[in-house]
Amino acid sequence: MQTAPIPRVVVGLFGIDQHEVGAIAVTSLLRDAGMEVIYLGRYNTPVKFARVASDEDAEVIGISCHSWEYLHFVPELMHRIASDALDVAVVLGGSVITPADAKSMRAAGVAAVFGPDATKDQMVDEIRGLAQAVRERRR
Amino acid sequence: MAEQTRSGIALKPYYTREDVTCPEIPETPGAYPYTRGRLRPPQAAPGWIHRDLSGEGDARRSNEQIKYLIGLGQMGVDVIGDSPTQSMIDPDHPLVRHSVGTQGVSLCHKQDYLDLLQDIPLERTPVSSSVPAVFALTGLLAVVEDRGFDLNKVRGSVLQAPLYAEDCGYSSGMPFPLLNRLAADTIEFAVKKLPRFHAYIEDTYFFSESGLNGVEEMALGFVEIRHLTRELMRRGVPVDSFAPRIAILVNCGMDFFEEIAKIRATRRYFARMMKEEFKARDPRSWSTVITSHTSGLTLTAQQSANNIVRGSIQGMALALAGAQAIEISAFDEAYRTPSEEAHQVALRTQQVLQLEAGISKVDDPLGGSYYVEALTDEIEQRIVSMVAEIEARGDAVALAQDGFFRKLFADASQRHYRLVSSGERPVVGANCHRIPADQDTLLRDITEKKIEPWRGRIDEVAGYRKTRDRDAVGRSLRGLLQAARDKTVNVVPEVYGALLAGATAGEMAGAMRLAYDHPYDPWGELRPDF
Repeated sequence: MQTAPIPRVVVGLFGIDQHEVGAIAVTSLLRDAGMEVIYLGRYNTPVKFARVASDEDAEVIGISCHSWEYLHFVPELMHRIASDALDVAVVLGGSVITPADAKSMRAAGVAAVFGPDATKDQMVDEIRGLAQAVRERRR
Repeated sequence: MAEQTRSGIALKPYYTREDVTCPEIPETPGAYPYTRGRLRPPQAAPGWIHRDLSGEGDARRSNEQIKYLIGLGQMGVDVIGDSPTQSMIDPDHPLVRHSVGTQGVSLCHKQDYLDLLQDIPLERTPVSSSVPAVFALTGLLAVVEDRGFDLNKVRGSVLQAPLYAEDCGYSSGMPFPLLNRLAADTIEFAVKKLPRFHAYIEDTYFFSESGLNGVEEMALGFVEIRHLTRELMRRGVPVDSFAPRIAILVNCGMDFFEEIAKIRATRRYFARMMKEEFKARDPRSWSTVITSHTSGLTLTAQQSANNIVRGSIQGMALALAGAQAIEISAFDEAYRTPSEEAHQVALRTQQVLQLEAGISKVDDPLGGSYYVEALTDEIEQRIVSMVAEIEARGDAVALAQDGFFRKLFADASQRHYRLVSSGERPVVGANCHRIPADQDTLLRDITEKKIEPWRGRIDEVAGYRKTRDRDAVGRSLRGLLQAARDKTVNVVPEVYGALLAGATAGEMAGAMRLAYDHPYDPWGELRPDF
């Protein structure tokens, strides 16, 4: 029997958003679900997310958003990913993301936004699906 | 299964006098061990100080906001810095360009403090601040001296959290020994120069927001109080000179009676500890002031209006427990830095509690309740045991360096997440009694409003650097570096001198980090320029 490849996810926060609780919780639930998490913690720039995703061959970048900095950093990250020709899915999570912002983030190319209502299973299933889609595209 | 409190204390179906250690309850409010409250000053109006956290944009914008809140009936000023200010990073640092002025006020040089407090009457307005204490204190000092105001009359407070700030959202990239020294230096300085100022608010609020329960919150708070008390006494500062100026800023979550009992137990343990263990003789050293902020962690992004109800219940618990100052988290806090509308509701909640419900007419109205007294006893015992358990592990600064506290916070946040996501801890609107997102529109327009980064501020500070006397700034920063290297010196006068010379908070923090062989800029972008 062939085992499914393990999804690789880079998790972190932008700028000086210091509310790390959500990122730590999500990291552990993704690891419990059998994924590989490269945990960057706080203080990251779009350049760093893109570089680590590339170096680590990750399929997904997951960013925990608890300050409004993400509204400005995410478009910069999407731009960076495009200019580096990276194939990686970006997902966001956090209660500060309002419904209107979630819509504009998806329009900017974000693959999924997990609001306060997202369940553990939703997050795991969606991230696993995104990782698989990226792997298939890369093949 | 028996019901239990958030801290895991098993509850009986009802309580009787057999459950209370001291059934006659001979204690009166205002008497040792102060379970029932501090002595109410004879001339004071009943009630508590109504405050709301403020600060956004730059100092001038925040000054307008403070005046607005005072106009609404707020009795004190409570300022929080934006994330760069809280982290001691200047607004023109590349990492912070999208966070200037959005979550608080941007403060980094002397003129900021003058602008922030312009026209605020210091004689009747205590100035409290969550900004890193050494800068909040020296900034206020600059205002006081600029106005020629009497140092003996300055009221207000600063927070100290040297053991936990680094792990709980206010990291400044400073080593723990430096953070602890700065705490002791500011307290010692204030004790000598600003006798009415509270230079030591033990802030158990922010770190308990990681998901700690009430017992854990207060045990860690006491570990820090005891650590700093020992350090100050080691320096020869008499306990009776600083203990009366210690206040505790506690959290208040949704477990109504446990929160009340927690505050009562905290006052009692503080009194016993100061009197019996640290041998304080002045009764004012035994009775600590409790200030409070209601829990942001208990608020939900879903059905924001429910947060107003939560704030009322928490505010009522705090009033019944005899808190001296109360801040109620704004209903939109799950989404954003509080809006003006939400600020107003939070303040009105307190006014309704006091003026309409009349809760503060009598001190400690729940005193003598079998349940509340039994819970108070049990919580105090649990706090005492947890403090002993932690102290048995060794020096608090070493524990912080080893990540012992970091692990406690991480475990607590995991536990909170598990309890809420499994539904074991009901949260109305979030894990039960939900409504579809497209129907969840009440007050939604307010949560969608944003505060844009205060980008003009970045240029303003860059411009400020050019107007300074470079030699004077360089000299003052070198002086600060030198003073910080000598562990026997109090650095506050050097920080104040550097502030007056035109140095910024980021530069001063960098100089002090260098003195402890840490990088000038832990985020790797800047180099010292002095």
